[in-house]
Amino acid sequence: MSLPQQIRSRGAHAPGATFLAYTPNGKKLVTAGVDSFCRIFSTGSDEEPINVDDCQENNTAVVAGNGFFIAGSEDGTVSKYSLENNKFEEILVRTSLPVRDVALSPDGNWIAVASDELSVKVVNVKDMMQVRTLRNQPRGVKHVAFDRSGTRLAVSCTDGHIYMYSLDSDEPEMIRKVDDMIKSLDPETESSSKVLWHPDGRAFATPTAGREMQVMSTSDWERQRTFKTGHSADITAAAWSPNGAFLATTSSDLNLCLWDAKSQKLLKKYDDMKATILAMAWHPTENILSYTNAEGELYIHTDFVPGEHASSLQKSTQPAPFFHDPSEGRAGNVPAKVANGARLDLPERQARQRDGTPDSLDDLLGPAMDDDDDEDMGGFVVDDDGAGYAAVNGNGKRTSGHLSTLDNMDSKRRAYGQSFEPKTHEFFQPGSTPWRGNRRFLCSSLTGYVWTQSQEGGHHTVTVKFYDEQTHRNFHFTDPFLYDKACLNENGTLFSCQPNDGNTAMIYYRPHETWTSRTDWRTNLPSGESVTAIALSNSYVVVTTSTNYVRIYSLYGLPIRVYRQKASPAVTCAAWRDYILTVGNGPVGGDGRCQLLYTIENVKRDEVYQSEDIVALAPNSTLASVLFSEEGDPYIYDSTGVLLTLLHWRNSGQARWVPMLDTKCLSRLAGGAKDETYWPVAVGQDTDGKPHFHCMILKGQDKTPYWPVPPLSEFELEIPLSSAVDKKKEMEKDADAMEEDDEDPSKKGQSKQAKFEQELILSSTLHTQLASTLAHVRPSTIQKQALTELEVKIDRALLQLLGLECLAGEDRGMKALEIVTLMHDANGKMLDLAAKVAARYGRDVLGEKIRELAERKLVGLDAEDD
Amino acid sequence: MALPLPRGLTPSEVSFLCEMELVTVTPRQRLEGLALLGGPIKPLNPPHRASLPLWLALLLKRQRRANILPPPWLSPHSLTAILDHETEYADAFSPPPRLPPQPSSNTLPFSPPFLLGATADAAPDALPYHWLELGEMLLEAASDDFEDPDNVRKLLRGLREVRMAKLRTNVEKLDAGGGVKMNGIGGLEVGEGRAFVTGVIDGLRKIAASQEQQRKDRDRYEGTGDNYDDDEMEMDT
Repeated sequence: MSLPQQIRSRGAHAPGATFLAYTPNGKKLVTAGVDSFCRIFSTGSDEEPINVDDCQENNTAVVAGNGFFIAGSEDGTVSKYSLENNKFEEILVRTSLPVRDVALSPDGNWIAVASDELSVKVVNVKDMMQVRTLRNQPRGVKHVAFDRSGTRLAVSCTDGHIYMYSLDSDEPEMIRKVDDMIKSLDPETESSSKVLWHPDGRAFATPTAGREMQVMSTSDWERQRTFKTGHSADITAAAWSPNGAFLATTSSDLNLCLWDAKSQKLLKKYDDMKATILAMAWHPTENILSYTNAEGELYIHTDFVPGEHASSLQKSTQPAPFFHDPSEGRAGNVPAKVANGARLDLPERQARQRDGTPDSLDDLLGPAMDDDDDEDMGGFVVDDDGAGYAAVNGNGKRTSGHLSTLDNMDSKRRAYGQSFEPKTHEFFQPGSTPWRGNRRFLCSSLTGYVWTQSQEGGHHTVTVKFYDEQTHRNFHFTDPFLYDKACLNENGTLFSCQPNDGNTAMIYYRPHETWTSRTDWRTNLPSGESVTAIALSNSYVVVTTSTNYVRIYSLYGLPIRVYRQKASPAVTCAAWRDYILTVGNGPVGGDGRCQLLYTIENVKRDEVYQSEDIVALAPNSTLASVLFSEEGDPYIYDSTGVLLTLLHWRNSGQARWVPMLDTKCLSRLAGGAKDETYWPVAVGQDTDGKPHFHCMILKGQDKTPYWPVPPLSEFELEIPLSSAVDKKKEMEKDADAMEEDDEDPSKKGQSKQAKFEQELILSSTLHTQLASTLAHVRPSTIQKQALTELEVKIDRALLQLLGLECLAGEDRGMKALEIVTLMHDANGKMLDLAAKVAARYGRDVLGEKIRELAERKLVGLDAEDD
Repeated sequence: MALPLPRGLTPSEVSFLCEMELVTVTPRQRLEGLALLGGPIKPLNPPHRASLPLWLALLLKRQRRANILPPPWLSPHSLTAILDHETEYADAFSPPPRLPPQPSSNTLPFSPPFLLGATADAAPDALPYHWLELGEMLLEAASDDFEDPDNVRKLLRGLREVRMAKLRTNVEKLDAGGGVKMNGIGGLEVGEGRAFVTGVIDGLRKIAASQEQQRKDRDRYEGTGDNYDDDEMEMDT
C-alpha cells in the first residue's frame, strides 16, 4: 500500500500546462511549463531542482536524451539545452505555428516536431540541416511518437486519423493511415490521442473516443485487446511501463489507474488527484511514476506499482496484449512442433530480452542495491560521446548495441555448432488461415466456409456459412473445446481440437440436417496424440496425427483403419469418396529440404495406387494446398501460385504432375497494375462441364483472406505456355488488327494459333485424365459423353490449326500433316474434313497425303505402328 | 400521336432496354434452368457464377436469392481512371470497350447491346453502352454487393456531369455541316441529349432557312434591284 503523504506535490511551474521527461538513464527529470525556465530534478533526492533559465515561455513539450533535453514552445521554437552545464544551446527548429509535441527517437539522434502546421518535421539533433518532412496529413498534428526501433513514426493528426510513416529510407514514406482509432481533437485540448508504442515493438495503444485504450498490432493492423478504462472523461495521458507489463492511464476525471497489460485488469486506482494530469513518465528502471498536472505541480510517485505486483516490473519485456500472439506458431498449432529444426520464420518476431535468472544476485538483494549503485557509482561511466554504451538495459547490464559488428554472432555460432539441419515441411490444414485479430478461417470449400472467433472468457464461436442457403441452414455455436481445424462438404462438418488441460484431442463430426434426427459424434484420440490434419469425404473421415498415425473412421464414427504413415512427419491429407491422399516429409533432397511424398489409396478396395511418390514442387516453393477436384482428381497448389494435377494417378509408377494453371500468367495480371494473389478453394466444373479453379482474390500484400469475406472467383484452367506479358501484347495486336481491318493477318494468325494450341493441350490433358478415370470405374453415360466431347474438342482445335498451317503456305505441309496424324477422328468425319480444308486452300499434295492416311486408318494400319 | 411524348426514347425506356444486358451473379440457392424467349438459362448452382439478364438478376437479388457481381469497370479504381481520362481530353468521350475478335465463319452482328459489357469479365477500362443506367440500377438494388458504393455513386455522378457538359459544348460545333465525334456515348446520354441537340439543330436549321430565305429575297431583290439601280442611274443621270 502506498501512503498518500509519501507523495508530495512539488511546485514545478506556475499554474498551467506542465510536461516532463526522464533522461534515458533515469537520473534526471526535466519539467517544462508556462514559465520561462525548465527545471531539472534528480531522482531520489529532495533537493531543490536546478533551474535552466533563458527558456521560451509556454512550453508544450519536453524530451530528454543523454546529456541534453529539448523543449518545444507555443512560439514555434524547439530549443536544445545541455544537461551538463544546464544552459541553452541552440534552436533546432522554428515553425510558423505553435509546437504541439516533440518526440525523440530511441537512439537520441532525431526529433519529430508536431505543430499546427500541416507537415511534421523530423530533424537531426546533431545536425539540424538534416530535415525530413512528412506531409501526408491534411490538418495539424497533435502528437508524434517514434516506435522502439526508431524506424516508424506515428503521427496523431487532429482529423482523427493516425498516419504511420516509415523512416527507413532517406525519403520518408507513409505506410498506413489508421482510421477509427483516435478521436478528432482540438490542438489545444487537454485530451490525448497519443500513440503509445508497446515496448515489444509489435503493437501500439491509443486512447479511443470511447475513453478506452485500444491495442493494435502493426503487422496486420488489426485491433487487439482493449483496456476498458471506465474513465468518465477523455483520457489525458497514458504510458506503458518500461517493460510493457503495466499501463497507467489518467483522465480529467482526476483518476489515475494502473492496469495489468496481460489481463487488462485494473490493479490500482488512485482517485485523490488534485488537478488533471497532463503528462506522465515511468522511471526507466525503478518503480516510480512521475506526473505533472495542469496546476504546474510535479508528483514523483515512488512505489507506484503496489507491492504484490512490483516484481513484474523487473521482468524482461512482456508481450503486447494480442488476442492471438503471432509468435505462438502457425495456425494455432501445438508449439512443441518447433523441434527438429522446423524454424518459424515470422517477420514480426523481435529479439526478446533475456529473462532474468531466477534467484540471481540482483533479485536477492533487491532494487535497493540498484539505488545505491546509482548514487555511488552511477556516474562512473559517462557516456560523453553519445554512443550509448552507458545505457543500462532492463537487467541492469550494459547493452551491446554499440557493438554492431557482432550482431550476427548467433548465425555464426549456428553455422559452426551444428553441421546439418534438414528443413521439414510444416504440417497444415488445407484452407485454414492463421489468427488475424480474433478471427480465422478454419476451412473453405465450394459448399461454404467455416470460421471461428475467439471470445472473452477463453471460448470460441464457430460459424458455418453455406453458399447455398436454401439447401443448408447457416449455423454457429459456442465452442469450449477450441476447435482449430475443420472440413466442410455437402453432408456434414468435421472439427478437431488439440489436447489441452488434461483433455485428449478430439474429433467431432456434425452432419447437416437430414430427414432423420442428427447423429453427431465425438471421438477422443489417445492421450499425447495431437491432430495434424483432417479430411472429410462422402464416406470417410481421415485424421493424421502427431504420432504419424493415419486414422480412418466411417461417417458414423466407426474406426475403419489405423496405420502408421511411412512418410513422416505428416504434412496434410485430403479425401474424396473412397480415395485418400496423405502427404508427409520424405528423405532430404539436394537443397537441404525434405522432399514431400504422397500416397493415394482406395479405402474401400484396400488398394494403394501411388505409394510414397514425390510431390513435385518448384525450387524454393512450398505446398500451399492439397485438394480433390469435384471429379475426384488430385490437385495441389504451391506457394508460387501454380495449380498442378496428377495424371495417370491410378496406375502405380505412372503418375506425373501436370501444371493446369499458373496464376502468375493470368491475363488479368498482364497490365502489371494489379498486385494480387489467390487463395485456393476448389477445382470444380461449371454447367458446361468446363473445369474451373475457384479461389479468393487477395489484394496487395495479404497472404490469407480476411473479413469482409472475398467472393469466390473462378478462372478457367490454362496450361502455362506463354507468359502474361506476351498475352497482353497478343490482345493488343488483336485489337489493333481489328481496328485496322485485318491489315496484318500473320500477327493475328499467331495469336489465334496460341489460342488453338492452348485449347489442344488443355483438352488432351483433360481427355487423358478422364480416360484413365473411366478405365478404372464403371463409366456413367454423362462421363462417356464428356469424353467424346473432349475428343471432338481436340479434333476441332487440330482442324483449326490445320487451317492456319494451310493458310501460311505450301512449305508448312509437313507440320500440317503432323497435325492431321494427331487427330482422334472420333466420328470418322474429321479426316474428310481435314482433306476438305486442304482442298479449300488448294494444297493438293497435302490433300492426297491426308486421304492416304485415312485409307490406312480404315484398314486398321495405324500410323502409330510404324 | 396520341401521347405527347418527345421523339426518341424516354429514360425509363432506355433502362428497360438495358435490362436485357447480361450480368454475373453468384446464386445463393439452386434454381432449375429456365426456357426463356431470350434464350435458355442454365440451372443455377451455388457458388458457381452464372450470367443472367439484368431483370432476372435484379428479381433474384430483391428476393435475396443471388448476389450480383458488379462489372469491373464499376470499381472506384477504374471509374477514377476513366474520369481522369474524360477531364483530360475535353473534346472526346472515353473510348468504348474493344470489340471482341470477329468470329471466323458465321459472322454474327456484334453491336453494343449484344456485347457482354456488364459481366464480371468485361473490360475494366471502358464504359459500355448502358453504363449509366446499369450503374444506377445496380447501385439502387445491389449496393451491398459493392465494395465502396458511395464512392462509386459519386464517381458515376461526376462522369455524368463531365460527359453531359461535353455533349452540350460540342453542340456549338454543329453549325453548318460541322460534326461531333460521339464515339463511346451511352444510351441514356443519347436519349437525354437528343431533345437538346435536335432542338439546337432545328433552331440552326431555322436560322439557316431564314438566312436562305433572306438570301433568296435579296437575290430577288437584287435581281429586281438591277433594274432599280438602272432606274436610279437613269434617274440620276
